[in-house]
Amino acid sequence: MNTELTSAVLYLDDVSVSFDGFKALNALSFVVKHGEMRAIIGPNGAGKTTMMDVITGKTRPDVGTLLFDGSHDLTKLDEASIAQLGIGRKFQRPTVFESHTVRDNILLSLSGVRSVFTTLFSVTTKDERERIERLLERVKLSDAADRLAAELSHGQKQWLEIGMLLAQDPSLLLVDEPVAGMTDAETVQTATLLREIAKDHSVVVVEHDMSFVRDLDVMVTVLHEGSVLAEGSLDRVSADERVIDVYLGR
Amino acid sequence: MITKRLFEFTGLPGLLMLLALLVLAVYVPYANLVLEKGSAFHLDTSAVVLLGKYLCFAILALSIDLVWGYCGILSLGHGAFFALGGYAMGMHLMREIGTRGVYGDPILPDFMVFLNWEELPWFWYGFDQFWFAMVMVVLAPGSLAFVFGALAFRSRVTGVYLSIITQALTFALMLAFFRNEMGFGGNNGLTDFKDVLGFDLQAQSTRIGLYLLSILALIAAYVVCRLIVLSRLGKVLIAVRDAESRTRFIGYRVEHYKLFVWTVSAMMAGVAGALYVPQVGIINPGEFAPANSIEAVIWVAVGGRGTLVGAVIGGIGVNMGKSYFTGAIPELWLFALGGLFVFVTLFLPKGILGLLSNLKRKRAASEPDGPGTEPVKERA
Amino acid sequence: MAFGIGDLPRMISGPVGLASRLRSVTLALTFTVLLVMQAGSVQAQSNSIQELAAGLAGADFNETSRIVDQIAATGDSGAVPLLEALVAGDLYYRKSDNAIFIAERGGAGYLLTDPFSGAAAGEAGRRDVTKVRVNNSLRRDIRSALGGLTLMSTDADVRLDAASAILKSRDPEAIEALDQAIAAESDDGVKLVMERARAAAILNSDSDESTKIVAVETIAQKADQEARSILLAVAEEADGALRAAIDKAVASVEASLALWSTAQNIWYGLSLGSVLLLAAIGLAITFGVMGVINMAHGEMVMIGAYVTFLVQEVIRTQAPYLFDASLLIALPLAFVTAGLVGIAIEQGVIRFLYGRPLETLLATWGLSLILQQTVRTIFGPTNQEVGAPSWMSGAFELGGLTLTYGRVWIIVFALVTFACLVVVLRRTSLGLQMRAVTQNRRMAGSMGIRTTWTDALTFGLGSGIAGIAGVALSQIDNVSPNLGQSYIIDSFMVVVFGGVGNLWGTLVGALSLGVLNKFLEPYAGAVLGKILVLVFIILFIQKRPRGLFALKGRAVDQ
Repeated sequence: MNTELTSAVLYLDDVSVSFDGFKALNALSFVVKHGEMRAIIGPNGAGKTTMMDVITGKTRPDVGTLLFDGSHDLTKLDEASIAQLGIGRKFQRPTVFESHTVRDNILLSLSGVRSVFTTLFSVTTKDERERIERLLERVKLSDAADRLAAELSHGQKQWLEIGMLLAQDPSLLLVDEPVAGMTDAETVQTATLLREIAKDHSVVVVEHDMSFVRDLDVMVTVLHEGSVLAEGSLDRVSADERVIDVYLGR
Repeated sequence: MITKRLFEFTGLPGLLMLLALLVLAVYVPYANLVLEKGSAFHLDTSAVVLLGKYLCFAILALSIDLVWGYCGILSLGHGAFFALGGYAMGMHLMREIGTRGVYGDPILPDFMVFLNWEELPWFWYGFDQFWFAMVMVVLAPGSLAFVFGALAFRSRVTGVYLSIITQALTFALMLAFFRNEMGFGGNNGLTDFKDVLGFDLQAQSTRIGLYLLSILALIAAYVVCRLIVLSRLGKVLIAVRDAESRTRFIGYRVEHYKLFVWTVSAMMAGVAGALYVPQVGIINPGEFAPANSIEAVIWVAVGGRGTLVGAVIGGIGVNMGKSYFTGAIPELWLFALGGLFVFVTLFLPKGILGLLSNLKRKRAASEPDGPGTEPVKERA
Repeated sequence: MAFGIGDLPRMISGPVGLASRLRSVTLALTFTVLLVMQAGSVQAQSNSIQELAAGLAGADFNETSRIVDQIAATGDSGAVPLLEALVAGDLYYRKSDNAIFIAERGGAGYLLTDPFSGAAAGEAGRRDVTKVRVNNSLRRDIRSALGGLTLMSTDADVRLDAASAILKSRDPEAIEALDQAIAAESDDGVKLVMERARAAAILNSDSDESTKIVAVETIAQKADQEARSILLAVAEEADGALRAAIDKAVASVEASLALWSTAQNIWYGLSLGSVLLLAAIGLAITFGVMGVINMAHGEMVMIGAYVTFLVQEVIRTQAPYLFDASLLIALPLAFVTAGLVGIAIEQGVIRFLYGRPLETLLATWGLSLILQQTVRTIFGPTNQEVGAPSWMSGAFELGGLTLTYGRVWIIVFALVTFACLVVVLRRTSLGLQMRAVTQNRRMAGSMGIRTTWTDALTFGLGSGIAGIAGVALSQIDNVSPNLGQSYIIDSFMVVVFGGVGNLWGTLVGALSLGVLNKFLEPYAGAVLGKILVLVFIILFIQKRPRGLFALKGRAVDQ
């Protein structure tokens, strides 16, 4: 095995998942290096969300190797442990804690306290309060800090979720369709934010919006029927015959 | 300063409730013991007992609200924990009877002599000690809840599935306790208690004492719930209720949180049962009936779940209604109760307290209520 | 022609027309009819055998022999006790009036019994009565006469009874009579019993070893408890080849008995399972397919049972001859009634609560209380009497199994209902729309399906099926306002155990839970067995939260 590859932040080799005979992932292999941002595209049913499920421990692969940071076998861990290791996930549909305030949403996501009894007796420290304010500023929600998350607009919820992801301070972020339902201006802002985040985190972005992917300007992996169809810059994969056939269309 | 801290801790409804409880704690003994029988404000001892019963139900309602209102676990089997606490208490009271029973056996309770049992079953050992019984009052329901919860939550049994198996749990326990061989008095349960810690259970003073103890326990239960709910753990619980898998992906081990609050809640229900038994003077397998547990859930729904105070209001209010109906027009009670279930779920999803706070907000609000204020549930 | 007791009322009800068909009335009537018939036959023939018997007083052996032959010639089984007493030497005549009595030592001398009526006829001093004497050749005559009266009777039931009696007494003296009877017997069933009785008698006689070994084989052919006890009784004294043959036969009988008892257990289990299936099948639609938690499901079953009761009430007063069809008439009515109540519930309450399963649960529980109390107010809290049509009563044997018609019909009915449901879901347009709506509501709506209407119909179908389950359950359970409540937890367990959204899972779940329950019962008792099954399911759900036949995939998780 190539140690350079296996020590990458995320290493998937020959991963397969099937649901009642349907192969959602079919011998999927790919690698994300430290500090890299990667965009994943592909038609519906290509296995993008299942891949996220497998990495975050929601679904167990039937076969395959799944390593995080070269040393952690993700197939043996549950969602909470994987999250605590430093893999954060943003869902396709924004999911925030609707009956908590924006501030409490961030507070709950802050890395650190996770066990039952420490949360029971924990008191919010000054340091934590400062971290929260910084994060709120970064996702432009300072003004809405004391509103209930349920009252936010769709775009604000997406940003709040990104803020929660940052609060976890993960070394790898999995972001599923971050700009779905956003206005063009919001899309551009989100791209900027993600690029900024990518400076000190590894990021995997799943997205349908081609102009957004172009804005990100990163390496692209095309998934099709549960395995990698093509990999490379957006220009290169868009020129690939097979990609045009299955996804982009002529 | 202190009042301000107190207000922050309880909130307005909580403070009002505590004040009301304090008033009841003073007024009821006064009206019962001091005021003359002829006085318009005199309270019969039977009324005191009835109030004491309502207070126990209020504690049970609090325990249900803690898991349902804050963590989204709808238990249809909390009556089982209530009954287990009651049985633990009842077993002590049985042992206290001693030679004053019909058969006069110093060790064996009457029903065992009646069944020709030679020896005390091992699980009755220790119940002659008050402290031991008190430990079992929380330990018996607590450990059952712990084992059941550990299995259920680890396997991610959620939503209605969990509700249904909690119902099956209490149903299985009911069948079991109906059996004479179980050693808990079978059909008749435990009854004919004489005294507790040397105080005659029939005495007026003991009645008042138990009543005051129930108020104290209710206040304590409220404070414990409030401490849990206001802590960061409480915020995690609400997060679990609103978006369970999101909470997991942030790194919280959801099953541990559920297990914690589930077990605490079961213990609380056990305490309620233990206070209930000496006041009504009997505990039998009927307390395990699934219908009882579901009825307790509606108390919480009526008062307003996720509010604690609402649970107390519901627990006391619905039972006052029940006492009135079953006394005055018994045929109508089930219609009324059934109607209550339908009405509350359809028209009063946040209960009485939710209605009040909605009204208040509407009067004060400059912005209209958005439809988004309803917490969005994850699908079961 | 053989008629069981149960057939008698049907035979006479045709022309006469019974006014009432209550079970108890039927039973009372049966007895009356039997008594009347018996009294009639006694009246008609008693003169002749009594006259003949009178001649026995003081008769010599030849005379007695002649009289016995004459009695045998009447073919009147009323003479059986007389002849039995005669052969046993218990028949006496009173010197004063030559009256014949069966006498037994007791009191001052003898206790007298009338040989025809069996009534006590006072006492007599030792010198007042004389025995009717018999010798060996006479005894043989009498036995064959007895055999002729019973074993050779023209009534197959009488022959069967006689053979069964010999099988019990294992009297070697009867072998000869049996031989004659077997040779003449035309009914295979009766013949079998006679051969068996003969074999049992041979084993009890001093026949030679080889004859006995053949007898052992004959006995072992039908492996039942009786065979086992006959063989065990003679095993003690036997030795050598006979002992070996007996031991082998006992072993084979016991093995086959064990097999039959397992089969009987499975039968009981399937029977219970079919009841569970009936109760759960409607829930498999409302809960399994639609995802609606209907706690009032049990009350739909109850409504079905009350519809049956009402139908029978009307038939009883208006058209008694329709009684046997009462369940068939009740089926569509129960389906429609429960279905309409279901649609009303769906339209009035449940549709406002879609997507809020816990609230649905509470609201429908409230509805179940209201429905129960409504029925209690109208019909009262007590059990209502629902009768069984004749085709559902009685039992038959299949090998070593005893199967009651009622249970057989309920199993058949449950399976037919299930099959119909599968067909409705797979083959009809309503079924197609139902599946479309439950899989993707919005898409189905945009395809032009009226989703709200489909919801109502689906719920109505589930409720209607619960209603017809009530028709069947009215036959085996008390019809009271609480009928439904006793099934609700079981039904949910079955659906959850089988796997929500999977009809076949419900079928397998119901039948396997039924069988499991019945296999636990012998070891644990009925109540503990039920508790164990509940605990088993609770543990099972921990292991497989989505049931036996869970659907896998991404869609289910969200």
